[in-house]
Amino acid sequence: MYRYLLHRILQIAITMFLLIAMVFILFRVMPGDPASMVLDPKMPPEAKALMKKQLGLDEPIYSQFIIYMKNLLHGDLGRSFYYGRPVYDVIMERLPNTILLFTSATIISWGLGYALGKRIAWRRGTRFEHALTFMGLLFYSVFLPWFGLIMIWIFSYRLGLFPLGGMITPELWTAGGAGIIALVLDVLHHLALPLFVLTLLSFAGAMLLMRSSMLETLREDYILTARAKGLSEKVVRDKHAARNALLPMVTALALSLSFSMSGGVLTETVFSWPGLGKEIVSATLNYDYPLAQAAFIFLAAIVLMANLVADIIYAYLDPRIRY
Amino acid sequence: MKSLVFILLIALSFSPVYAQEKVYLRIGGQDEPKTLNIFKAGDKWSIEVIGWFFESLYTREPLTHKVIPWVAEDYPEFSDNVATIKIRKGITWNDGTPLTAHDVKFTADVILDFQIPRFYSDWEFVEKVEAVDDYTVKFYLKEGCTPLFLEGTLLSPIVQRNEWLPVVEEAKKKENPLKSLLEHQVERPRSAGPFVFSEWVKGSYVKIDARKDYWAKGKLIQGREIGPFYDGILFKIYGTTDAAVLALKKGEIDYISWTIDPGFVAELSKEESVTVTKSPGNGFYYLAFNVRKKPFSDLAFRQAVAYLVDKEFIVSRILQNYGEPAYTIVPPGNSFWHNNQTPRLGAGLSKEERIAKARDVLKSAGYSWDSAGNLLYPDGSRVEPFDILTPPADYDPLRAMSGMLIQEWLREIGVQATAKPTSFATIVQKVNTEQDFDAYILGWILGVDPDYMRVFFHTNQTMPEGYNPMGYSNPTYDALVDASARECDVEKRKELIFKAQEMIMQELPYVPLYFRDEIEAYNSATFTGWFEDLGGIGGSIIYLKPLSSEKPEKKGICGPIILLLTATLPLLLRRR
Repeated sequence: MYRYLLHRILQIAITMFLLIAMVFILFRVMPGDPASMVLDPKMPPEAKALMKKQLGLDEPIYSQFIIYMKNLLHGDLGRSFYYGRPVYDVIMERLPNTILLFTSATIISWGLGYALGKRIAWRRGTRFEHALTFMGLLFYSVFLPWFGLIMIWIFSYRLGLFPLGGMITPELWTAGGAGIIALVLDVLHHLALPLFVLTLLSFAGAMLLMRSSMLETLREDYILTARAKGLSEKVVRDKHAARNALLPMVTALALSLSFSMSGGVLTETVFSWPGLGKEIVSATLNYDYPLAQAAFIFLAAIVLMANLVADIIYAYLDPRIRY
Repeated sequence: MKSLVFILLIALSFSPVYAQEKVYLRIGGQDEPKTLNIFKAGDKWSIEVIGWFFESLYTREPLTHKVIPWVAEDYPEFSDNVATIKIRKGITWNDGTPLTAHDVKFTADVILDFQIPRFYSDWEFVEKVEAVDDYTVKFYLKEGCTPLFLEGTLLSPIVQRNEWLPVVEEAKKKENPLKSLLEHQVERPRSAGPFVFSEWVKGSYVKIDARKDYWAKGKLIQGREIGPFYDGILFKIYGTTDAAVLALKKGEIDYISWTIDPGFVAELSKEESVTVTKSPGNGFYYLAFNVRKKPFSDLAFRQAVAYLVDKEFIVSRILQNYGEPAYTIVPPGNSFWHNNQTPRLGAGLSKEERIAKARDVLKSAGYSWDSAGNLLYPDGSRVEPFDILTPPADYDPLRAMSGMLIQEWLREIGVQATAKPTSFATIVQKVNTEQDFDAYILGWILGVDPDYMRVFFHTNQTMPEGYNPMGYSNPTYDALVDASARECDVEKRKELIFKAQEMIMQELPYVPLYFRDEIEAYNSATFTGWFEDLGGIGGSIIYLKPLSSEKPEKKGICGPIILLLTATLPLLLRRR
């Protein structure tokens, strides 16, 4: 086990290095120039050169890379060209918002997918299965910005049930007199609609994965045995079949949880949600290398770690797996 | 589970209906400030907030855009290369200290020492600034008078010496002083202006409060009384125009501070409390040629293109009449500097007449056509196909469509042009950096001062990264615009700028296409005093007066209930 762990960590380190190098190069071969975004075009050439020098943009690419790696190993992600603030601060400001919306949506979709998936597999061929599969796939293929806007129009504008967007009501927060419960409820109120939309649009993935995994387990002999023992349907379904069908779902959860940290630029835009996704896209468009690079590297690190964790959990879930 | 729902419902029913006695102007924006550091702030969203904290020696009057004394008592007094300016007494920072000549001198020193990118181009010609006493400053200019001094330098914001001195001293000790200064994080900027920073919840809103002791409150400019007459401004963030438009209709905001697409106009006009405005934009869109290359180096060819391009058609069909055809590059909204007597090639002609005119011009310059209809140079060789770079449709559908039309019109005279939608960054790279292009369509957002007439077409801007990637070079023009940059008599300068506009329309390094209107919308039931100006109605904010205090609407509690139901769905399912 420890040898395996060591092996994997080494693997992750190599992958990370290659990834950092690739991200670094990709940003630099992008057409355009970060200086054009930071610098006023009206600036006299000497002042421009001075600024470029101070941003380190006049160095050749390989030495920029070495400096970058050195800082990275010291835990310094650099400062955003655009904000002038440490990149770490910018990411950390947005990350909790992203986790609140996207990670919750992922967990709820996963839970919903698990619960529905095992049921439709159990009742294979019934109308219940067809209806749920159809509905799931229908929402799965809907274009989010369009659907989101329609939902905002119906539920927020016409019915007035939810806010039009954002995470909090400024008027409530600035008044100062609102209690903590009111503030928490305010955030939940803002969270409800985007969370609902995201869940509706993504639960089908987990549901179908669970369904096919469950169908496979249902063919196993031990299911027949369990039934022959006279166990109740529910026990056979939940304790014998679903438990064994869970394995691929764990990998799926680990991966989608880690990817959920990247947020989603479309969702964030439509619901005016101050998350990380929009930040990454605008950093890329503004040639804010330090911020965009750090965001990608950060996400990659989380995905790799999540994979590792999933592998370890495997061993616990399925005692037959030994490394 | 049931009891949990019950408890939450009770809690919800106690959630306070927020009473808001204070009156805030609520502005919907697309993003939040990037920084509160005035030396760094270059983006619209930062300036929209911190712009309120800084006063300048002079300011522009709305509508006429005339420069008038502000913190300065009067216009500068010149003797040789020295301008003396007296400063008003009684202007205070929000910490109670007075704004003095020392703040002005300090600001000037920082801009000159650090060559602050945002301001330095307006300060290059300033030698030094001296505080004679607490309320008198002297500006020493390198050469004689320049209009940019009054129209640029003296409009720069003044920072507080007390606030910035420690930061500047610290930055000077660093390896990269400028970088260090720009990266300084300002938490609560000092203000000498009408509003003072109050709070900023990142990602959600910024609040600034009105200063009760604002020095200029109650003064009149053109008969308008300066405020603020309300308690502050709340900047809210909306990710899409759709959401902001809904918020405006619902009365959640008073003004959307960005240009709205014409598509929203019909919907907004239906709303009684919403007023849609159409202000002249301060910018222009144009087709430009690489005049270093054939056939663009030939004036006759450029004239033929100018005849062919039907600007009226573009404005009516593509801009849906929210704009004007351009026959110069100074927008008509900038009325003092706009010359409406420039040559208008092809104006009012039908498509057939345009084609005939273009063919005539080319024929008399010696061009001919082969049997397949391809255009031939006077020496008989064929005019090679070329590309017109345009931004892609998702970046700007108007320019992409205009490019397509121009491609088709050029093909009518046997020129195989292809409109090529290309990412903005790539166009800039090819045009400005590599100067490897045939023709492109882009736009400029302008300032009020027409000094851009000099920069865009001057020979000294033809180097890579310069303003004149077209490579247009004409000594007569250079002399004309150089003179305009030294002329301090406004009327004389106006003559020179008018002449320059005429020359550009004769020589056609650019074929200007159109000026766009800025469509904006505000809530007419909450504040009064909005007026349209060059670039939009944002200039009216300081003059606004609240109409009546709004009744806060009751918060719906159905939302959280639906949320709870969604969250408990898996649990409910399990029960079955």
